[in-house]
Amino acid sequence: MPTRALTTRHAQDLELFADRWAKAGLVLLVLLCLGFPFMAGNKWLVVGLQAQIAIVGSVSLMILTGFAGQISMGHAAFIGIGAYTTAMLGEHHHFPFWLALPLAGLAAAAVGMMIGPFALRLRGLYLALITVGLVFIVKHMLYHQVAWTGGAKGMKVPAYLWFGGDAPKLSDYAKEPLDLGVVSLDSQQLMFFVFLLLAVAVVLCGVHIARSNTGRAMMAVRDHDLAASVLGIHPARTKVLAFGISSFFAGVCGGMLALQLSYLMPDGFGLPMSVNYIAMIVLGGIGTIFGGVWGAIMFVVLHPVAEQLQPYVPYFSERTDTLFSTVLFAVVVCIFLIFEPLGLFGFWLRIKRYFLAWPFRYG
Amino acid sequence: MSLLAINDLHLSFGGVRALNGISLSVEEGQIVGLIGPNGAGKTSLFNCICGVYIPDTGAIRFDDKNMVGLKPYRVAEAGIARMFQNLALFDYLTTMENLLLGRHHLYRTSWWSDMMGAGRYRDEEIRHRKVVEEIIEFLNLERYRKHPVGMLPYGVLKRIELGRALCMEPKLLLLDEPAAGLNQEETEDMARYILDIKEELGITQLLIEHDLSMVLDLADAIQVLDFGQGIASGDPDAIRANPRVLEAYAGKQAAP
Repeated sequence: MPTRALTTRHAQDLELFADRWAKAGLVLLVLLCLGFPFMAGNKWLVVGLQAQIAIVGSVSLMILTGFAGQISMGHAAFIGIGAYTTAMLGEHHHFPFWLALPLAGLAAAAVGMMIGPFALRLRGLYLALITVGLVFIVKHMLYHQVAWTGGAKGMKVPAYLWFGGDAPKLSDYAKEPLDLGVVSLDSQQLMFFVFLLLAVAVVLCGVHIARSNTGRAMMAVRDHDLAASVLGIHPARTKVLAFGISSFFAGVCGGMLALQLSYLMPDGFGLPMSVNYIAMIVLGGIGTIFGGVWGAIMFVVLHPVAEQLQPYVPYFSERTDTLFSTVLFAVVVCIFLIFEPLGLFGFWLRIKRYFLAWPFRYG
Repeated sequence: MSLLAINDLHLSFGGVRALNGISLSVEEGQIVGLIGPNGAGKTSLFNCICGVYIPDTGAIRFDDKNMVGLKPYRVAEAGIARMFQNLALFDYLTTMENLLLGRHHLYRTSWWSDMMGAGRYRDEEIRHRKVVEEIIEFLNLERYRKHPVGMLPYGVLKRIELGRALCMEPKLLLLDEPAAGLNQEETEDMARYILDIKEELGITQLLIEHDLSMVLDLADAIQVLDFGQGIASGDPDAIRANPRVLEAYAGKQAAP
């Protein structure tokens, strides 16, 4: 019977994987992540890449909206800034992708920290409106700075491995896989492992924030900002910090998206993208990193699942567009909001409680 | 030199004079009771001390430093902790996390080492958890350590709120109706904790309370407010005998 281990030291409370069940889960997860690119076909490998990108994006939004309580409709703008920074640094200045990604994060963070001070005066819907404005401004810039962004025609995103225009690119491994002796990796598989490192790093950062003094301060500002400031928390600093960290990760997410798409158009970075990310964190469960990760995975996986289901559903079987996956996702979100407002996290809690109490009904 | 010295404090909201020239001093190590009918300005005075309201005129000196115009988090750093009248706990966080938030300003690690989960951060966190554990023991909160506070009963929440204020290691504790809404037994427990805080921890307390028998028993000195003005002050016995206090609470006797 799985029971909780008795904690006797403070250090035990701080461990990320406290008991053997968590450790077993970790091992399983690692095996799954390492094996996935070899087991999955090309189509599912792309789904995996999209999931990793979505995880980084939704964890970053979770830090801002879930922890600090600042509703942001502007995540598409931060992601767009990150994506185009990566593309421009690669295309115009021949930066390697591993340097372009953090710079993309910094560029987005700079804009995020400029928006942050608005959050000191505006709350809730008013702040959401300001961030909607940011999305339109960024999209306008992307369309009209043709010399930099290629405007409506779009621009290529080369993933250089080193400095210089003639340096090898990640895409070079598409035809000639990288031979490591035991296994050989093509460009998509290589990208999967690079993204895996990034996603794990961002998720770990998110988990550490949630469990630390910084994260607690964010949640205090979210729930009761007057009480927070009487406790010695600097609300303005906390909000701007949340904006900074969140938009940095959103910028990195944009960079990853740019590398995966390898060709950028401004159209993708509009309000629907922001709404998608908000839907992901709601679906996963607001206020937890678990929710950020699993909401993103669920969102991404629903699309191929919808594609498989579409022929068997009346009315939608005659259509060729992606309307069905949108409708399916909308229905799933509505069902969750009505029956499990805590999202997938709430679902997980129930499962966990059931097994912790087993064979009894209550623990 | 008194720990907290308030001199001629005025605060008005439009035409309403919430505080109308209050003066008050709190000596180190004392429990000072602050009583008065509803709307007398007791909570407004607390809000002025905490920096939530900025008084129109007047001086607040704490530990010989000026407090007027400081932001609430600066006041907290100076060593003033406050327990709210209507609970202001964070419902989704556990008791432990709520108490740790009281120690927020004592953390020496930056957001960067927090985010990286650095060893420095772990040591700091454990150091603070040990202190919080002492407060938990002091207030008998052991069994609620890992419960989200949203699901705990009111009497326990009051204790957690008191604990969170104690975690700040304050020099002055502002208690805004710590016994409001508590039953007889819980009120007696709370009174015991207040005396323990004075005697074991040596923290100076300024106490607002409507349960007059409790204040008169606990306080070393009492200040009575009515309509934003101080109408009487002195030790509990003097207050009991003061006709103006009786008048403020019960009204004047009709002319025969």
